[in-house]
Amino acid sequence: MPDRNKALVQGTLDMLILKTLALEAMHAHGIQLRIMQISQGVFDVNPGSLFPALKRLERAGWLDSEWQATENSRRAKYYALTASGRKQLKSETREWRTQSIAIARILEA
Amino acid sequence: MVRKDETETELNEELNAYVQSVADAKVQEGATPEEALRSARVELGGMESVKHQVRAVGWEFAVEGFLQDVRYGVRMLLKAPTLTAVALMTIAFGIGANTAIFSLVDAILLRPLPYPNPQQLVVAGTHQRGSSEIELISTADFLTWRDHQQSFDQVAVVDRISSSFALSGMGQPEQIPGVRVSANFFSVFGVAPLKGRGFLREEDGPGAAGVVVISEQFWRDHLGSDPNVLNRTLTLDGEPHTIVGVMPSDFHFPTRRPVALWAIRRLNPPLARPPYSLLPLGRLKMGVSVRQAEAEFNQIVAQVTAQYPDSVDLVGEMRPMKEWMVSDVSTPLLVLLGAIGLLLLIVIVNVANLLLARATARQSEMALRMALGASRGRIVRQLLTESTVLSLLGGVLGVLLAFIAVRAFLIFGPGHMPRLEEVRINPGVLLFAFVICVGGGILFGLAPALETSRPSLSGSLKETSRSSSSASAHRTHRVLLVFEVGLALVLMIGSGLLIRSFVRLSSVSPGFQSDHVLTAAISLSSKYSDPPQILRFWREFLEKVKVLPGVKAVGITTSLPPNLLQITNPFTVEGQSYDRQRAPQLAEEMIVSPEYFRALGVPLIKGRFFSPSDKVEGDKDPLIVIINETMAKQYFGDNDPIGRRIQTGDPDPRAPWETIVGVVGNVKYSGLDSGPGPTIYAPYNEAGWVLWSREMYLVVRGSRNAPDLAPAIRAQLAGLDSSVPLAQVRTMEELIDESLVQERFRTWLISGFAALALLLSAIGLYALISYSVSQRTREIGVRVALGAQRGHVLRMVLSEGMQLLAVGLLIGLVGSFWATRIIRSLLYSTSTTDALSFLATSLTLIAVALLACYVPARRASKVEPMVALRYE
Repeated sequence: MPDRNKALVQGTLDMLILKTLALEAMHAHGIQLRIMQISQGVFDVNPGSLFPALKRLERAGWLDSEWQATENSRRAKYYALTASGRKQLKSETREWRTQSIAIARILEA
Repeated sequence: MVRKDETETELNEELNAYVQSVADAKVQEGATPEEALRSARVELGGMESVKHQVRAVGWEFAVEGFLQDVRYGVRMLLKAPTLTAVALMTIAFGIGANTAIFSLVDAILLRPLPYPNPQQLVVAGTHQRGSSEIELISTADFLTWRDHQQSFDQVAVVDRISSSFALSGMGQPEQIPGVRVSANFFSVFGVAPLKGRGFLREEDGPGAAGVVVISEQFWRDHLGSDPNVLNRTLTLDGEPHTIVGVMPSDFHFPTRRPVALWAIRRLNPPLARPPYSLLPLGRLKMGVSVRQAEAEFNQIVAQVTAQYPDSVDLVGEMRPMKEWMVSDVSTPLLVLLGAIGLLLLIVIVNVANLLLARATARQSEMALRMALGASRGRIVRQLLTESTVLSLLGGVLGVLLAFIAVRAFLIFGPGHMPRLEEVRINPGVLLFAFVICVGGGILFGLAPALETSRPSLSGSLKETSRSSSSASAHRTHRVLLVFEVGLALVLMIGSGLLIRSFVRLSSVSPGFQSDHVLTAAISLSSKYSDPPQILRFWREFLEKVKVLPGVKAVGITTSLPPNLLQITNPFTVEGQSYDRQRAPQLAEEMIVSPEYFRALGVPLIKGRFFSPSDKVEGDKDPLIVIINETMAKQYFGDNDPIGRRIQTGDPDPRAPWETIVGVVGNVKYSGLDSGPGPTIYAPYNEAGWVLWSREMYLVVRGSRNAPDLAPAIRAQLAGLDSSVPLAQVRTMEELIDESLVQERFRTWLISGFAALALLLSAIGLYALISYSVSQRTREIGVRVALGAQRGHVLRMVLSEGMQLLAVGLLIGLVGSFWATRIIRSLLYSTSTTDALSFLATSLTLIAVALLACYVPARRASKVEPMVALRYE
C-alpha cells in the first residue's frame, strides 16, 4: 500500500486533526474521511498514522474521547477538542501561517 | 496492569468500530458486506501492527517492553537449567572475585586516608647519601625541624622502636601493642578523642610526667568501659602513665597492626645524634607543596649534620602519607587486580560461548520472529536483556560470595597490610560490581545476539540445513575460544612464575637449624635501670631455663631471623679510611648471649663463640665481636679476620676498637629474600650494650616439641619478676612461616585464579568440540559408512581442537612475555621468562586441553553410521 502520508509535512497531521475536530466531535473514520474530503483527496491518512496520532493528542490533553452512537447506529469513539486543544490549534495555525508565508516568499523571490 | 487491560480492550473495540465504519461505507458504494469487511481490514494494514504503533506512543511502552524482555529472558533461562546454572556459577565467581579484590584495592589504594584533609599529611625520613632506603630520624633532627620549620601546621613523631608495652598491676602482666608518640601526634591527624583529650604541647618535654591515650577497644576490653577512666593510671613498662584520653575505634595509626595505647614519647635534648628511631609526620600548611616542605626539611637536616660533624651525612625526603603507607602493597594488589581482571575476561568469553552455542539452537526461533516483523534491533535488544539478566543474577550471587570472601580474607588472610581495617564492601564497590555486571552482560551477550539476528531468514527457517549463519556463529565461537585459551595461559604462566619463586624462597636456608626452636620476647620495665641489675636478671633467668627438662640450649638476642632485625650500624675496618661523602658500609648488628649460636644452631666457621668467661663487663675491658661469613669474605678476603679490629657506629677516630674473635655462618635477619650482607654480633653484657638488653628475644633449643617448653619458661620468669610478661611465644618454624605469609597468600590466590582459568578454558574447549561433533554427526556417519577408520575420525576431531589450542598457545606465550614483566618485583631469584615455568604451564594446558577434546572426539569415533544417518 503506497503511503500517501509521506506527502504530509512532518507534524502537520496533528494540526489537521485538531482543525477537523474544531467544528464538532468525530470518530476516527469520520476524521479520516473529512481530511480527505476537504483536501480534495490529497491527504489520505492511513490508520497506522491516525490512531497513534489520536492517542498522542489525547495524552497531551488536547482531545477528549467518549463512546457514542454513530449515524449508522453503531457505537464509536468520538474525539472532541478540549480547551487546551483549542489553544494549541490556534498557536499551531499561527505558526503554520507564519512559516508558509515565509516559505512562499522564499519560493517567489 | 488493570489499566493496561482496559486500554487494550478499548483499543480493540475502537479499531473494530473503525473497520465496521469503513465497511459500512463500502457497502453503501455497492460492495457485498463480506467483501467490504475484508477490504476494510486490508486497508487497516494489519490490526496488530496498528495496535503496536498506538501502544508505542507512551513511555510505558518502553518499560513494558523491557519488562516483557526480562520475563521472557528469565523464562528462556529456566528452559535450559544446566546451561543457566553453569553460566550463573561462572559469572558469580567472576564477579565475586573481582568485587572482593576491588574492595581491597578500593580501601587500600583508592580511598583517601580516613583523616580530615588527608592530602595535607606527609611522612618524612632521611637516607644516607647514595642509598635510596628511607630511614628514621634522630631526636636532634626532629627537635631542630620542629622548632624551625615553616611549612607545617603541626609536626610530630612516632617512635618506631616502641611496639608494645608491658602492662602490669592489673592481674597477669601482659604485653599490649602500642607506640610512643610526641605531643602533637593527635593534632597532626586532626581526629578528636572520644573522651578526654590528646596530648598537650608541653607533655613531651624532658622530665614531664607519663601520660597515655588509650583506644576505645582497650577501654572496653581492659577497663570495662569505665566512665571515670580519665586520670586513672596504667603501669606501662614499670612506669605510671595517667590516662588523658580515649580515641574512637575508627582511628588507626600506625595501621599495620592494632594499636591499643599511644604513650607520650619524651624528647630529651640529645647528647649525640644517634639513635635514629623516630618517624616524623606533619600536616602541611595550606598551599605548601610536598616538594617545598622537603626542600626546607633538607636544609634543616644539613644544619644538624653540620652540628654533629662525626655523624653520617643524611639527605631528607618526604612523601605523602598515603603513598608511604601503601607503597609496598600497591604492586601486589595491582597484580591481583590484573589477574582477576584477566579471569573476568575469561569468564565473559566462556559465557559468551555458552550463549552462542544456545543461540545457534535458537536460530529458527529468531528467524521466525524476524519474519513476523521484529526488527534486528528489537531482537538484539531482547537477547542483550537476556544476557544482562543472567549477569545481574550472577552478580547478586557474586556479591554474596564477595562478602564471604572479604570476611574470610580479613580473618584468615595475611595480616600486616596497611588500612585493612577500612576494607569493606561499600556502595562504591557495589557500584563497581554493578557496572562490571552490566558491562559483562552486554559483552558476553553481544556476539550471540549479533550472530543470531543476522538476517538470513530462509536459511534458518529450513531447520536442518547447515546454514551459513550457523557457520559464522561457529567461527565467532572459535575466535573467542582461542582468546580464552590465550588469556588462561597468561594467568597460568604468571602463577607458574610465582609458584617457582615461592618454592625457591621457602627452600632458602635461613642459615641455622629451625626445628625444635622456641622463641619469645621479653622486655624489662624501666625499673631495671642500672646495668648490674639487668645482668643479674638475665644471668639468673638463663641459668634457670637452661636446667629445665627438655632444654638443650638457651640464648638471648636483640634480633631474630628470619626478619626481625632491629639495628643496622655503620662500621669501619682498621686500616681503612671512612669517606663521609660516600654511603657508609652498613652491617646488621645485634647483641647476643654466649649460648645464642648453639641455641639457634648457627655453625662456627672460624675462631670461637663468645664464652661466659669473657671479661667484657667493665668499662676498660677489651671489646670483642663475632662476624658472619659474608663480612669475613667481603672485608678480609683471603686473610684471617681473627684478631683483626673494627669500629662500629658513626665513624669516630677516637671510638674504641673491637677485636674479631670468631666467624659464624650467614643467618637471614632481613627476610628470606634478602641477599647476604655483613652481620656483627657483640656480647650482650658488654658495658656499652647492657642498656640495650632490656628488650630481648629468647631462643630456646629443646630436645622435644618446642611449644611444650613455654609453660615451664613462663613459670621461671614469673618466679624472678611477676611484672615481666613472656610475649610473642612462637616456634622458629612459625616465624619462618609468618614471614612468607604475603608471598604464600598471593601465590595461592593467583594459582587459584589460574586453575580456574584452566578449568574454564577446558570446559569451553570441551563444549566447542562436543558441539562441533554433534553438528558433524551425519558427516562422520557417512565417513565411517564409507570405510573411514575410527582412529582417523578421532584424529580428525582432535586436530580441530589442536589447531585452536595452537593458536591460543601462541597468543598466550606472546602475551605472557609481555605481561609477566609486571610481576618482576614480586619474584625471588626467578626470571620473568623462566623457561621451566613457561614450559610446565604450557604442557599442563596442552594436556588438559587434549583431554577436553578427547572425550567428544572419542564419542565421535564411536558413531554408528546408521544412527548418524537417521540423525535429525
